[in-house]
Amino acid sequence: MPATLYWMQGGGCGGDSMSLLGAESPDLLELLSALDVEVLWHPSMSNGSPSEHAQLRDRIISGEQELDFLCVEGAVIRGPSGTGMYDVVDGRPRKDLLAQMAHRARHILAIGTCASFGGIGAGCESEACGLQYLRWEKGGFLGADFVSRGGTPVINLPGCPCHCDVITNTLATLADGGLPKLGDYNAPVAWYGILVHQGCTRNEYHEYRVEEQDFGGRGCLFFHMGCHGPLAYGPCNKVLWNRRSSKTRVGVPCFGCTRPDFPQEYPFFETRNIEGIPHQLPDGVDRAHYLAYKGMAAAAAPERLEHRQTRV
Amino acid sequence: MSTTPTIAAPVTHTATTTLNIPLNRVEGDLQIRVEVRDGHVTDAWSSGTMYRGIENVLRGRGALDGLVITPRVCGICNTAHLMAAAKALDALGQVTPPPDAIRVRNLTLMSEHIQSDVRQAILMFMADFANPAYRELPLYEEAVARYAPLKGRSVIEAIRHTKHMLEIVAILGGQWPHSSYMVPGGIASAPCLEDLQQCRHLLRGYRVWYERQILGCTLDRWHAVRSLADLDAWLDECDTHRNSDLGFFIRFAQLIGLDSVGRGHANFLSFGQLDLPAETDVRGFGDDTARLVPAGFARGTQVTEFDQANVAEHIAHSWFEGYEGGKHPFHGVTRPYASGGEGQKYTWAKAPRYDGLPAETGPLAEFVIARHPLFTSMVESDGPNAFARELVRLVRPAALIKPMERWLNEVTPDGTFYTRPKRIEQGQACGLTSATRGALGHWVRIADGKIEQYQIITPTAWNGSPRDSDDVRGPWEEALVGTPVKDPDNPVEVGHVVRSFDPCLVCTVHSIRGPNRHTARIL
Repeated sequence: MPATLYWMQGGGCGGDSMSLLGAESPDLLELLSALDVEVLWHPSMSNGSPSEHAQLRDRIISGEQELDFLCVEGAVIRGPSGTGMYDVVDGRPRKDLLAQMAHRARHILAIGTCASFGGIGAGCESEACGLQYLRWEKGGFLGADFVSRGGTPVINLPGCPCHCDVITNTLATLADGGLPKLGDYNAPVAWYGILVHQGCTRNEYHEYRVEEQDFGGRGCLFFHMGCHGPLAYGPCNKVLWNRRSSKTRVGVPCFGCTRPDFPQEYPFFETRNIEGIPHQLPDGVDRAHYLAYKGMAAAAAPERLEHRQTRV
Repeated sequence: MSTTPTIAAPVTHTATTTLNIPLNRVEGDLQIRVEVRDGHVTDAWSSGTMYRGIENVLRGRGALDGLVITPRVCGICNTAHLMAAAKALDALGQVTPPPDAIRVRNLTLMSEHIQSDVRQAILMFMADFANPAYRELPLYEEAVARYAPLKGRSVIEAIRHTKHMLEIVAILGGQWPHSSYMVPGGIASAPCLEDLQQCRHLLRGYRVWYERQILGCTLDRWHAVRSLADLDAWLDECDTHRNSDLGFFIRFAQLIGLDSVGRGHANFLSFGQLDLPAETDVRGFGDDTARLVPAGFARGTQVTEFDQANVAEHIAHSWFEGYEGGKHPFHGVTRPYASGGEGQKYTWAKAPRYDGLPAETGPLAEFVIARHPLFTSMVESDGPNAFARELVRLVRPAALIKPMERWLNEVTPDGTFYTRPKRIEQGQACGLTSATRGALGHWVRIADGKIEQYQIITPTAWNGSPRDSDDVRGPWEEALVGTPVKDPDNPVEVGHVVRSFDPCLVCTVHSIRGPNRHTARIL
């Protein structure tokens, strides 16, 4: 018997599905066949008729159809006023359908920052929230105490979008009968126990405080350009995007899109400063020591960095 | 072209019935309501069923924040949103990006187009050829072998090859989806020779695959097809043509009479896209001197000049209140009004109109406005239809690959990719371009260095719009009228018509400022 997967899209952009289509080694098809997983429904790929889809949902909810993996992409839309009528399926709030299916699924994966924490629509009139978190706060749509039939909380795979390797690897681990080790915010530590800053090719520029104040240079983007690399946990510079690169490598600051508070409320592309030192320092760093260290590091910066000769 | 058109075969229902059809493979949430009498659609309503409220995120934010937020409107069209956001900011910052920045921007948007066109055709549109509704047809078994979801031969090919185009976006822009590497004045990256070399290699690989798998011939052979007679001759020329995905599409479409459905209003709109950089060997389609793809508005094949001042949005049938008639996006008002008590309102989408008229947008519109001989003659003889729309989508990459190759060769490695803009404190501007599925515009107003208003009109807002203040149907509503529906439980024909527009519902946003912070991501 193959394991079964149902993919639901709520208040989101479809970007996580697009990310997944880019997976390689295994690609999506290799993964499904190697793990013996049957996709019961994916909104962008299935070709069953509307009535067949409705019957499938009924069979899952009644328990007649086993559901091993419920993958949710996009936030849970609860507005207006908690009714969920801003997002309906056949005239019913999608959130009600989600609640029914969530109680039938062996494992639930919140794929992307919107499904994990609410993301783009959190705090807005759509009353978007994540499956088990609303931004930093545990609870979300299913409640802090929710555990799926497999005994796990909702497994959060944040990122805007979520990296394809994170999705395929988590599914593979679960399909093999394992359970990824979860860390803060119930996200797997293998992918979210590392800062975006780690592996950034601009690290040496950061080390010696050689900073950019505009686009197009090779220096560090943390001090003036709003980079969240030292503040955001995620694998962008570990596994790279589309197997090629990452934002920070091409001179685009990290926007902290894996963080529960993404999108931040203050402007992107600028760093809030106190006396030239960022308001938010790298995670866990002591301000006084950091000031002393950065002053000395800047004085020690080699010419090849100051002249931006070292490539990134 | 039809011989025994399955879609147009007689059907036997006589009573008037109403079908509510939740349609998938449209990148988002779409409910189509059709009234069916004597087995044919007599009326249609297109309803976007989700409201996400992205507007509240943009209002009051930093002037550049559209570069981060708007790509996230759509996981499919994100590079196009980035282009629109960046072009609006170029105008606000009173800067023209260096020619090589324009080339690189274009290359990433074209990469998005040529993978999306193939994915839409194979994964979204032709999946319906494997629908059991067609099990009696001689080509059905072959259709299943090719297009069954996640299993068909062509599906596997498309999934394995289209993603390589997105590696080009990642090399030049960091990642796909959701890069923010275009900035006012150019791009953040500075590609070196080796980066460009990798992009060339990826494009070359895609071209070889596209010629073999999709076309079944070289780009040059395809470009010689300039009329319907040429198309027939191309199909008859050899088995390689007949058995490519393009050849199979044409044969299956003939069998079911795909050209007999989905006519619509025959009004076409293009905002134009892919600005020509200074000193380039690339010539604009239809000899346009400003862009590779010209802007324009056409009634039938009569093309007139495009002016964004003629764009207005209506809300008479949308779940909003506050004004009558149409409003230009700089002056829009958005007050959600979800009751719909009068029975007039049925969607979260507004109804954009050009010069008061509904208009379809997308590759067919762009090719008609560029006066492409094959598609102009198809529209002149039969009007637009589902076959023409999907055909142009399958072959559009053939028109983009060579300009991409030229631009990749023209870029100077480690050259100039950024010109500092003026500080953006006040003003309003629009960024107009095209997403894969048609005209995309961002209308932006900045006050005190912050976003005061941000209005997005997407291609699916045009194509999937509801009725306007004059009760005129939106493009695919109109295109559905007359469509046969053989099996109300499996209305595959309705799917063909709507999907021929390459719907992208997640993208269909509304982002204008309204009182009480009431504005909307629609659908």
